Amino acid sequence: MTMKRLWKAGMIAGFALGLVAAGAASAQTMRVFSGGANQRPDLMRKLFDNYEKQNPGVKIEIETGGATSELQRQYLSTVLNAKDAAIDIYMIDIINPMQYARAGWLEPLNGYLGNEANTIMNTYLPAYGAANVVDGKIVALPAFADAQFLYYRKDLFDKYGVKAPGTWDELAAGLKKILDGEKNGAMNGVATTGAAIEGAVCTFLKPYWSQGKEFNDAAGRMTLDKAAAQKGLEMWLSLVDRGVMQKNIGEVKPADMINAFKAGNLVAMVNWGFAWDQLQSQADSTVKGKVGVLPLPAMAGGKSATCIGGWQWAVSAFSKNKAASAKLVRYMSSPESAKFLAIEGSLLPVFAQTYTDADVLKKLPHYRDSLPVVQAAKGRPMSDRYGEVSDAVRTSTNAVLARTVKPADAVNDIEGKLRRVMR
Amino acid sequence: MTSWLDRLRDPSEKTLGVILLAPAFALLALIVVYPIGKLFYNSFFDMRLSGGQGSKWVGWQNYADMIKDGAFWEATWNTVLITVVTVPGALLVGLGLALLANLPFKRQWPVRLALLLPWALPLAFAGLIWAWFFHTEYGFINDVWMRFGGEPQMWLLSPVSAFTAICIAIIWKSSSFMALILLAGLQMIPKSLYEAAEVDGASRWQQFWQITIPMLMPSIVVALIFRTITALQTFDIPYTMTKGGPGNATETLAMYIHKTTIDYLDVGFGSTLAVGMFVLSLVLTAVYLRHISRQESA
Repeated sequence: MTMKRLWKAGMIAGFALGLVAAGAASAQTMRVFSGGANQRPDLMRKLFDNYEKQNPGVKIEIETGGATSELQRQYLSTVLNAKDAAIDIYMIDIINPMQYARAGWLEPLNGYLGNEANTIMNTYLPAYGAANVVDGKIVALPAFADAQFLYYRKDLFDKYGVKAPGTWDELAAGLKKILDGEKNGAMNGVATTGAAIEGAVCTFLKPYWSQGKEFNDAAGRMTLDKAAAQKGLEMWLSLVDRGVMQKNIGEVKPADMINAFKAGNLVAMVNWGFAWDQLQSQADSTVKGKVGVLPLPAMAGGKSATCIGGWQWAVSAFSKNKAASAKLVRYMSSPESAKFLAIEGSLLPVFAQTYTDADVLKKLPHYRDSLPVVQAAKGRPMSDRYGEVSDAVRTSTNAVLARTVKPADAVNDIEGKLRRVMR
Repeated sequence: MTSWLDRLRDPSEKTLGVILLAPAFALLALIVVYPIGKLFYNSFFDMRLSGGQGSKWVGWQNYADMIKDGAFWEATWNTVLITVVTVPGALLVGLGLALLANLPFKRQWPVRLALLLPWALPLAFAGLIWAWFFHTEYGFINDVWMRFGGEPQMWLLSPVSAFTAICIAIIWKSSSFMALILLAGLQMIPKSLYEAAEVDGASRWQQFWQITIPMLMPSIVVALIFRTITALQTFDIPYTMTKGGPGNATETLAMYIHKTTIDYLDVGFGSTLAVGMFVLSLVLTAVYLRHISRQESA
């Protein structure tokens, strides 16, 4: 009888010890969802390692996934709706804070930032800081900025005497000269995101904004100028008709453009800031040192306009380590981290001073010219029903580029679908 | 008078039956009955996860919206079209494969393995592989096409060719499952029937139509039921091949439900759509079952 009792007592003691140990371990472990490959989880891991060294006893595990922004949003929506406490910190796209905050999924950081809250927000580039403030609460801090640029082959432009294009017409004319001269059947002129992913919303908006139009007013109501939207879509189609854009543009994603550009089969592309590092440093790139960066061309008579992008760090409302997570998010969103990410991965900083830092400029001389582009970048419509807004615009844009729907009908579709959503 | 405790210690057949079935019933109730019930319940609310406003009772409004929704009818039409094309298609291809596999090979296992592989591949992988096959620039199909002198086609960018590409992928994937079921049925047909028919002077064609097909009927019906129900729920292959593109031309009902619930976070309307699909599946199953029972009583 005593042997049995001893066994029982031993088991209970061992179990209790195990629970305590597990409890102690989890208090110092934080789990971070660090986006997909384009959000450079490898660089983030280095920053996390640094943080672990500076804060002994803290362990950070990362989880990655989701090839595109809307796939990540769909995954995170499921996890957050289940109020899952497994992940403490999320990296989210710049378009997500409003939707997630209104759904009650993000922990406001005002309390954790204390008195410094306002000064901290003022150090960020205005549009990028403001995107993280919803209903007066700071719900995320910027990780890095992004905007879309025109990447082009400096060597080919110089060879054929093509000057920096101010309008899409000038770009088309210059590309035609290069393509006719190179006589390479596999080479294409310019490419943009045509597949029905989040980036297609930017493909729709850039020529639209370039004509000086707004998609919505300050209250979030839709103010679509149908004629201007139609003109914008027709501009993309005219590039295909002139032979400077590939016919299967409806299949093209940012990764496809980067691969084609690296192989020397694309003269120019409209792509995000993170593409620079991949073109210059990846082993299979044949265009190292031959790449130039410009602001996007404008529509005739309009101004250059580009899409704001970038990613943010947010603390989950269901995390069990909120204070520790807030501290980590502060570190990841600091000027030191921004400088590291710029130098190591050409991820655009959210601090103005980083663009003029001597070390940064040595590695990335084009950053001096990038700063005005990043500052002038415009935000996509902020809405708590952004899923529907994005789907309507990207699906119609994809249909137009695949030539299954005419621009006029596509614009009517967008207006019809979003009239109820963006009231 | 027996107390319930006595009944437990020495149960009658009826009580034993109830006790043994109870765990299965509980599990079924939890993972089948409860979710479907919740689905019906949710369909009467305006429930959006994104706004943080909670749920609002709207009665039959969601159903009225569904009937008026053009996207719902287009998605249903696409789903019905896929079912009508791929179910007979997979049956024909599966029958052919099963007849081939039933030939006397020296070694059976390579044939069985080849038959089994498409079925064992996860649907999403199959969709991604076929999407690469049909890619305009990097696809193997355009490569072969061009070697025969054709122009590279944008298979996935035109509604008709994208639909055809998706049907080809679905038939490839599902015919292996059909072939397995039909092969099992073929092996059960006694050889003596064929020998007797040969003696009576029947041609191979006659043997096929008079012996093979009638004896295979039960397997064919089983395969058809499985395949039709699955075809109504087609999601993985169109989702990974075209994401419903170009535009919404290849969006199926399951994809529309997924988009409404997971992307738009509109759980109320999404539940309504799911109820719609449930009713569709129920109607088709009832039709099949009535057909079978009529056949059996004939």
